Amino acid sequence: MPKEFAVELQDLRKVYPMGDTEVVALDNVNLQIEKGSFTVVMGPSGSGKSTLLYLIGGLDWPTSGMIKVWDAVVDRMDENTLANFRRNRVGFIFQSFNLLATMPADENVAFPMRFSGAKPAERVMRSRALLEQVGLGDRALHKPTELSGGQQQRVAIARALIHDPPLILADEPTGNLDSTSGYSIMQLLSELHKTGKTVLVVTHDSRMQQFATNTIYLLDGRIVTPEEFKNATDVSRLEKQTQEG
Amino acid sequence: MRFFDLVGLILYNLNRRKGRVALTAVGVIIGTAAVVVLVSLAAGLQKNATSQLYGISDLTNIEVYPGYSMGDSQGMAVAVGGGGGKQMPDMQLLTPSTISDIEAIPGVKQVIPQDYLQLGIDMVYGKLHSYGNVIGLDTDDLSNMGLTASQGVTSLAKGTIVIGSWVTRNFYDPKARPNDPPVEPPDLLGQSVKFVLSKWSADGVEVKKTVTLKVVGVLNETRGMSDGSIYLPLSEVTAWNEWSRGTRINRNKEGYSMLNVRAESVDVTTDIADAINALGYQANTPQSYVEGINSFFMVLQVIFGGVGAIALLVAAIGIANTMTMAILERTREIGLMKAVGATNKDVLSIFLGEAAGIGFLGGLGGVLIGWGGSAILNVVALSYYASQVSQQGGLVPSMATSTPFWLPVFALGFATVIGLLSGLYPALHAASLVPVNALKYE
Repeated sequence: MPKEFAVELQDLRKVYPMGDTEVVALDNVNLQIEKGSFTVVMGPSGSGKSTLLYLIGGLDWPTSGMIKVWDAVVDRMDENTLANFRRNRVGFIFQSFNLLATMPADENVAFPMRFSGAKPAERVMRSRALLEQVGLGDRALHKPTELSGGQQQRVAIARALIHDPPLILADEPTGNLDSTSGYSIMQLLSELHKTGKTVLVVTHDSRMQQFATNTIYLLDGRIVTPEEFKNATDVSRLEKQTQEG
Repeated sequence: MRFFDLVGLILYNLNRRKGRVALTAVGVIIGTAAVVVLVSLAAGLQKNATSQLYGISDLTNIEVYPGYSMGDSQGMAVAVGGGGGKQMPDMQLLTPSTISDIEAIPGVKQVIPQDYLQLGIDMVYGKLHSYGNVIGLDTDDLSNMGLTASQGVTSLAKGTIVIGSWVTRNFYDPKARPNDPPVEPPDLLGQSVKFVLSKWSADGVEVKKTVTLKVVGVLNETRGMSDGSIYLPLSEVTAWNEWSRGTRINRNKEGYSMLNVRAESVDVTTDIADAINALGYQANTPQSYVEGINSFFMVLQVIFGGVGAIALLVAAIGIANTMTMAILERTREIGLMKAVGATNKDVLSIFLGEAAGIGFLGGLGGVLIGWGGSAILNVVALSYYASQVSQQGGLVPSMATSTPFWLPVFALGFATVIGLLSGLYPALHAASLVPVNALKYE
């Protein structure tokens, strides 16, 4: 049985103009992510891993190349189709949660439904159920400022699930959290994976790998082997030590 | 995005920034209130002016003077018209056939010929003397001229007169010394008054004739011409004029000095006046003055409204500024909205709606304050006018400001549209943000 891919990238290239020069964020990336996988993208800052995530999620446009998510060719979509895609096919989780500070948790979770026209009763039911699922059933009426960082990220995860998307994209989901709450977020993402979601996580945190079905290493906009990645990061560590020494 | 959700989110966003929304709306409130008060003031001035004109003469009356094919001024017509006047060769006289021509115009109720006394008179009551504008009207009742009596009757008959409300005030004692108290106006109703007519014969001798007439009616004050007038039947005045010049007056050859044409309603007055002008006569109607004054005040309203609109324009810049700041602050939020499925149109609608909402709220406040302010101004100005009038005399205006029913609606709509337009640039900017850049904005 041939493998089915949730995400396929072909010759994906993203170049940012920086004054007179150009910064190559992604350099001819070819990648396939299986449906139902838990993929971790590792790489140092500036390796292009976040860019990769946002391109897959349709929040940015590639300079060239093709992005296919399920059957949809993301780079060819017009604005409205893209909005629909972002609403129904992917769920985003951000490093800084991006919750609306003035809204209680349940309204934050149901926020995307304001753009999809769901009925009020459905919003309440769905947001309460999701908060229950992420372990915050008793915090529905609390505002983000009244919640811990880990709890806020759980609210954000519940929000990402509101339209039941098959693909979860997480950009450094544990980056703003202490190690304990970071770990529990990883466990939560793993649980989502077990319910059948395809999960793609961009992270620095190597602990994430223990939940992953596969890991991708990015260096300077290119996918590299684990060995290359290890050597490169070791070298840089060495350089750092010599500078300090 | 459904309309209900859109409105809900707009209200939510306005509500969570109450302070700033309120401050921005204050600008709109001032502008809208200025528009409402100033336009109300102009409308009030207009109503005052026209209502006082209504007093001078009712609007169904058309005064017709002889016409000149040369196009001379109508003032000449008054000077040379009348039974004794000399004819100009190409003058369109107001003859009895003219009357039947005018009566044939649709909407004409009645034509009442009028003539003035062509000689000097002295009005004597006891030891008091007075003067007045003697008018002869070819009608048996002054009610046909729209006049009403405060005392007695309005009917005109031989040997009787009806006087205007101020005529009694004109009485003076010719033998009074400087320090004597002023003469009390006598109550003339039912009293007989002597009229001393005088003319100069060809050899330079003054000839006098005294006629005694009974006052049968005193008219209500109209604040117009009738207040100082003494009304007689036309035949009486004609007889006096004939006595003055010594020959008979032939109306077919000399015409009347003036005709009062009574229209059936105000609506047809100007049409009738136009038709009479087309016949070659000079028709004047207060209606045309009223229309002229109305158009002047329309201009005044536009100017006053424009002054208020400038205040609104300044407020619009305030809204644009607030929205631009809001979009800067909420850049990440815009990114989030797009990430969770908001279309560009949704984002545009939300921010446009917020800008329009500020305009609407400010407009609502401005309309209420402007309305209240107009009402207060009315009270203050009227009491000021009243004190001025009591010192200097004159008429007390009935109102200082008047708010037309369309004005609050218009002002509210205008403020909303101004808000919407001010939000256009910031909202377009917000809608066109690249989601990933918005999300990463610090």
